[in-house]
Amino acid sequence: MDLILFASVVLSAGALGFPFFQLSRTRGLPLGYILVAVLATALLFVGANALSPQPARDFGDLLTSDSLGGLFAFVTISVALLVAVASVPSMVSRSNGPLYCSLLCFSALGMLFLSYSADLLMLFVAWELMSLPTYALAGFDKDRVESNEASAKFAIVGALSSATILYAISLSYGLSGSTQIVDVVRAMETQTTNPMTLATALLFIVGFGFKMSIVPFHMWAPDTYEGAPITITTLLAAGTKKAGFAAAIRVVLAVSTVHVLTHDPVFTVPNILAVLALATMTLGNVAALTQRSVVRMLAYSSVAQAGYILIGFVIFAYAQQNAAFSHEATLGMTGSLFQIINHSIMASAAFLCVALVLGALKRADVGAFEGLARRAPVTAFTMAVSMLALAGMPPLNGFWSKLLLFLSVVNGPYAWLAVAGILNSVFSLGYYLWIVKRMYMDEPPSVERIAEPMLYVVIFSVLVALMVVLGVFPQVVIGFSQGAVPSLFPL
Amino acid sequence: MIPILPLLVAVPLAASPVVYVLSTRSRRAGMAAALVVSLVVLAIAVYAFWYVFVNVPLPGQYDLTAKYQWVSTSAFGLDIFLGTDGLSSPLILAAAILTVLVIAGSSRLVSQRLPLYLALLLFFEGSIIGVFTSLNLIVFYLFWELVTVPMFLLIGVWGGERRRYAALKFMIFIFVGSAFMLLAFLAAYSYAGVSSFDIQNISGRIPQDLQYLPLLGTFVGFGVKLPVVPFHGWLRDAYVQSPSPVTALLAGIQSALGGYGLIRISIGLFPQAAHEWAWAFMLVGIITMFYGALVALRAGELKQMFAFTSLNHMGFVVLGAFATVASGNLLGIEGAVFQMFVHAFTAGSLFMLAGFVGRQAGTTEVSKLNGLRDSMPRTAGLIVVACAAAMALPPFSSFLAELLVIAGGIAASPYAAVVVLVPVLTGGYLLWTIKRVVLSPSEAGSARVDMGWLDVATFAVYFLPLLGLVLFSSLILTPAAPVAQWAVHLVEVA
Repeated sequence: MDLILFASVVLSAGALGFPFFQLSRTRGLPLGYILVAVLATALLFVGANALSPQPARDFGDLLTSDSLGGLFAFVTISVALLVAVASVPSMVSRSNGPLYCSLLCFSALGMLFLSYSADLLMLFVAWELMSLPTYALAGFDKDRVESNEASAKFAIVGALSSATILYAISLSYGLSGSTQIVDVVRAMETQTTNPMTLATALLFIVGFGFKMSIVPFHMWAPDTYEGAPITITTLLAAGTKKAGFAAAIRVVLAVSTVHVLTHDPVFTVPNILAVLALATMTLGNVAALTQRSVVRMLAYSSVAQAGYILIGFVIFAYAQQNAAFSHEATLGMTGSLFQIINHSIMASAAFLCVALVLGALKRADVGAFEGLARRAPVTAFTMAVSMLALAGMPPLNGFWSKLLLFLSVVNGPYAWLAVAGILNSVFSLGYYLWIVKRMYMDEPPSVERIAEPMLYVVIFSVLVALMVVLGVFPQVVIGFSQGAVPSLFPL
Repeated sequence: MIPILPLLVAVPLAASPVVYVLSTRSRRAGMAAALVVSLVVLAIAVYAFWYVFVNVPLPGQYDLTAKYQWVSTSAFGLDIFLGTDGLSSPLILAAAILTVLVIAGSSRLVSQRLPLYLALLLFFEGSIIGVFTSLNLIVFYLFWELVTVPMFLLIGVWGGERRRYAALKFMIFIFVGSAFMLLAFLAAYSYAGVSSFDIQNISGRIPQDLQYLPLLGTFVGFGVKLPVVPFHGWLRDAYVQSPSPVTALLAGIQSALGGYGLIRISIGLFPQAAHEWAWAFMLVGIITMFYGALVALRAGELKQMFAFTSLNHMGFVVLGAFATVASGNLLGIEGAVFQMFVHAFTAGSLFMLAGFVGRQAGTTEVSKLNGLRDSMPRTAGLIVVACAAAMALPPFSSFLAELLVIAGGIAASPYAAVVVLVPVLTGGYLLWTIKRVVLSPSEAGSARVDMGWLDVATFAVYFLPLLGLVLFSSLILTPAAPVAQWAVHLVEVA
């Protein structure tokens, strides 16, 4: 718990300290590297904590230091660090760079607390701490209309989602007289016939659904991703979205352990989740196929990827009704956690490749990627590997998480989700491969080389190495994710 | 003990980036390194082949097995499980020989971006041997997908005019097929109710009424690779647009993946359903043969003609495999294995020759080629020999392979006797082509450079197994017999 405290102190110091760099006296300091150092230090503390997880509660039971929290904190802070490194050449050097750094630290702090929160109020505060800075960051290119639009849309939808969650929290307080997640679930279990119980569960799904961008709460994602500065898009897709999953796993899955929310055999939590998973996968992939802008394509692709993650939720919720499926539930949640980690890596890689192309060519439609292999070989290779990984091509990391997810439902009543998932994977190859083909087989409009900054080459090498190494040696992450699953059972 | 099979897979895969780096420094060094690597693989493959021939594994058993734990989860464990038997060892050998020949032949035919080309060829070799040796469904699927990626790039980067279209079409067909295959694998795992993906563990545990759908799924997956009618849509574009050495690999060895999968997995996991539906699959095989022969008859271009000749030959594999399942007569599967091995060399030599002709004459259109006898006598001679092998004329072992399949087919159903017409048709159009291309009077001013004696010697390597196996057919048939016995045994246990 001390290590988490240290990490939060470091991040707070950064968040509060960076605005002072706006003073003229401090101009010329290597701001970007200070930001990277702050986040790296926080990551070190979080990593050290995740390596030796001792389930402990502290701060009046507001925070819990379990391996699930460790996993999410590690992933989200890593993404923040990655975004910081990628921001060094372009964003940080602007006149209001210090504010950018400060907001990034605030958001990272929010994600840190969100990962560990055990109490609904703590969770909500962390949620807002994470979200509010990203509204401003999405509109950071304040001279660009699209960026403003992105920010406004994001803020409105974000406020809606926060309000929904807050309403659900107030309802659950009414049911249980407590804001502790454990107490709320216990109280709901005794009141399964109360319509308020069902309403609370549904409101939680909707509220967190916005951040997870699952269909039908995904409409903001493509516009915001496209309008926001692309490094922030990376943060949104790979970082805050994953924090949304952390919150959803803590709350929605806990709620779904309430066995029978209704006496209707069809309208059950696993069934609702299954339909959402199917809709999210399918709609995301179909919409992605029709996009001309690579950013929008990736936005829809990350909607689709969220659908795969939900498959693990489905089987987990189902196992609460049917104890025979406990092995499958563990497998499914392992797959979900693995897929969350993988998607952070794959989406970071893809969006940062787009960031480089967008920075050099000022456009990111599919045409900009024609013949990229000759103009920017490292970027093209990274993009190709991340596309294949997103498509679930063995032996890259994306294959294993999908395999675990599909295998978890292949026995039992949700086998159709595995079929839908595999068909969706093939379908998604249509647009992923299309990009690979553009980069490697088409003629470039001009043969001029695109400069690849050293920092980006380093990031890309790390990400490609991760995708390949986790693909060849998946047991490391599978073991780690599987170890985090038991902390899902707080009861 | 030396892990022979892991080495067979790992050596080419690991050497691929090394060869890439070497050949960016020097073209010659890269070429030499690629040849040395492929020769080393060939040496190991020869050892493995010999080992299986000497220690023929019992039906349902494998030689040279190696098992490494890879992934373990709450619900299942996954091992990298490699092994070989009389079904895979000849195919591994064929893949190794063909890769050596293709790399040697590529020095003249491929000039652009050689480093990537050589690296992809070796990567392809490693992953294809991976498919032939994996005895675990997930590892099998993994290598299966790995085979496709280098092939996609090989077609799309080095192909002819319409290479991008051909590459994408190829990829889409293969991936849709493999999605059905993966679905079938997951279904098999689920129905068998085991916590392992090893073929040995799943085989024999699936109730008959649950076998039909997964059988169909695997048939789609493998049928696309072979290909069989009606999954052959990618064939014309991919075979014609690819550079000749790549087509030689595609037709010679990649198609054998499909035949291998049908015998090892479709029949191995779903034997009773395969037995019941064998007549339908045999029919598909026969239709594929006639369709291939008839389209080839109409083809006006050499590579297209050879592409459909290859299709026609792969029909024999399907017929042979399912004839054994239908009747219990061992000849069918033995013939199918023989046919896959032989076909690697007939198809390989035909496509490589088409490549040489295209390079020297500037075209492979039958109507524009003439009098090769006078202008390129050595090439012309080789074409006649390769065509004779493809026609299954008696001194060539292709004759023996087709004879075995036809005998097996007739044992299953007397109607299968109709396929004796296929070699007749094949012989007809190939002889007609020889008349038009080789024996016609040459036009004035069409002096062409013939291939050197070194190249002729390279081609002799293709014909060596084709001629030698007539005398030493037991090299293939003795280890193949237990494979056929095992298939028959699986059908009978139910």
